[in-house]
Amino acid sequence: MNISTGIRNFFRHGNMKARDIPFWIVGVVIAVLWIAPFVWMVSTSFKPAKEVMTKEIEWFPRHIVLDNYKKVFEYPVARWAWNSFVVATTSTALGVLFGAMAGYALARLNFPGKNVFFAVLIASLMIPTEMTIIPMFVGFLKVGLSNSYIALILPTIANVFSVYIFRQFFLGLPAELEDAAAIDGASRFAVFWQIAMPLARSPIIAASILLFTLNWNSFLWPLLIIFDDNMKTMPVGIAAFTPVVGTHTQLEGFGISMAGVTLLSLPGLLIFFIFQRFFIEGISRTGIKG
Amino acid sequence: MIASLRNGREAIIQAGEKSMNTPASLTIWRKTKLRMRKATWNDRRIDWSGYVFLLPFFIPFLTFTVVAIIFGAYIAFNDWGIMGAPEWVGLANFKEAFTDPWVAKAFVNILRYGIIIVPGVTILGLTFAVYVNKRWFLSDFARAAFYSPNVVSATVIGLVWVWILDTQFGLVNKYLNMIGIPNIPWLTSTQWSLIGVSIASIWWDLGFSFVLFLAALQEIPREIQEAAEIDGASGIQSFWYVSVPILRPTISMIVTLQLIATMRIFSQVYMMTNGGPAGSSVSVIHYIYTTAIVRFRLGYAAAVSLMLFVVILIVTLIQQRLIRESD
Repeated sequence: MNISTGIRNFFRHGNMKARDIPFWIVGVVIAVLWIAPFVWMVSTSFKPAKEVMTKEIEWFPRHIVLDNYKKVFEYPVARWAWNSFVVATTSTALGVLFGAMAGYALARLNFPGKNVFFAVLIASLMIPTEMTIIPMFVGFLKVGLSNSYIALILPTIANVFSVYIFRQFFLGLPAELEDAAAIDGASRFAVFWQIAMPLARSPIIAASILLFTLNWNSFLWPLLIIFDDNMKTMPVGIAAFTPVVGTHTQLEGFGISMAGVTLLSLPGLLIFFIFQRFFIEGISRTGIKG
Repeated sequence: MIASLRNGREAIIQAGEKSMNTPASLTIWRKTKLRMRKATWNDRRIDWSGYVFLLPFFIPFLTFTVVAIIFGAYIAFNDWGIMGAPEWVGLANFKEAFTDPWVAKAFVNILRYGIIIVPGVTILGLTFAVYVNKRWFLSDFARAAFYSPNVVSATVIGLVWVWILDTQFGLVNKYLNMIGIPNIPWLTSTQWSLIGVSIASIWWDLGFSFVLFLAALQEIPREIQEAAEIDGASGIQSFWYVSVPILRPTISMIVTLQLIATMRIFSQVYMMTNGGPAGSSVSVIHYIYTTAIVRFRLGYAAAVSLMLFVVILIVTLIQQRLIRESD
């Protein structure tokens, strides 16, 4: 490829004109700046303790070492990650399944009260979760369920957005296939499970991704209800590396806290880069705000 | 189709009634008729299984939303520590909240957060979306870059920005030093702490508005903008007079959602400043958290939650009123 065809290809993107070049450059620079905090995070995490607090700005570590990661694992980080994994996957699986069932019923089945039910669902989105956090805290404490997976999972399994995603999907899906199966004598549940769900691949993926990131990143509720260090989820466990409320960073410096958050951000960023299309579709379709 | 079905069913019912000739068979027929008429809704047969489908969702939903809210309202009228039984105190918690300087401070602060974060997220989100929507070279990269902070947890945001905004060794101050600006105590002074937390919040939240704007922009047919350009409109003119009016509903939706989200700000505050110094960055939820967890005053915490709920409700209603009036 010679230079002139290279330039022609460059301008072919979105009909770019010569006068657009300065704007294009500014945009690319801002995009690079936007991810710079992540780069700085990863870079700091691989620096030896002495090279973290430097006078000069060193974007690339002079020596790449794993000291910070070793120190992070002196805390029960693996256990926290396991807790987060168990809680996020269970919450997501149940949230998607129950959301699909409810969404299917609201879109397809005919029964009195379903419009009222849907209205209540939408109205509940107006209520900030923080309204319910104190009563939930008291409730779980009084029944002795603090410090448990159940306390972390139960409040997450009724997710309105999950219902909404599936309702929208089934409303747009022709019902002929399901009707045919129903005429052949299949029960409503068989129709749902064997005919409707296999067709619902894309809302299943979209809902799973949304709920998983939501559950994985959940912060206030696990912070409240878990006191036992071993039962903490990863975001809450790692949060103790902040010099403001924890002591680990004051002892070990910013290298260790950056190693902690690098590990913590990996699942979310990986899922995002693999499923980018679903992510952005899912968000713009539901208007979900975490 | 549905109407004819109903007529058909009525015809059967009437025909059935005529063919009944003994009183006993007539009674039986009346019962059947009742059931045939009863078991429809919207002129269609009722799927009783619908309730079974809803149940696994509905029970936790009811418990953790409706029941929890009622219970929360009850707690708000009680004095309750972790131990012992709740003691009914009537409006005492609310009376105390109205004279509590920390409550006032927290509510003023969430307003200040809103004034910085909401315009920041809306304007930058729209600008970035317009840029990415040009589909110039590397726009896929830019889209991923602008959205990526939105997928990581609050812990990542908090810790990374505590490091970047560090007064002495933080990246931001080092670059500011280069252009001759002395160190700014971003998170450790009463003057700057709220701004420091807001900067991190904008970085975190932007992806959400960005994606919604991008989706809305992609709905606008290219021809409309091209037509405006052929008519001699500059890029800025066609954006302002063509795109912005079309985007109005999206803008008002984002402003509403972001304002509500900002009034609930907690995690970043907790990790970056813990509300300090001297309460200069404390938010309402943060105050609720410390009241419940550190001071174990559950009734009072529930009362402040209720007040926040009412404020959020009022803001939402005002917002919708404004939107309706401007249309």
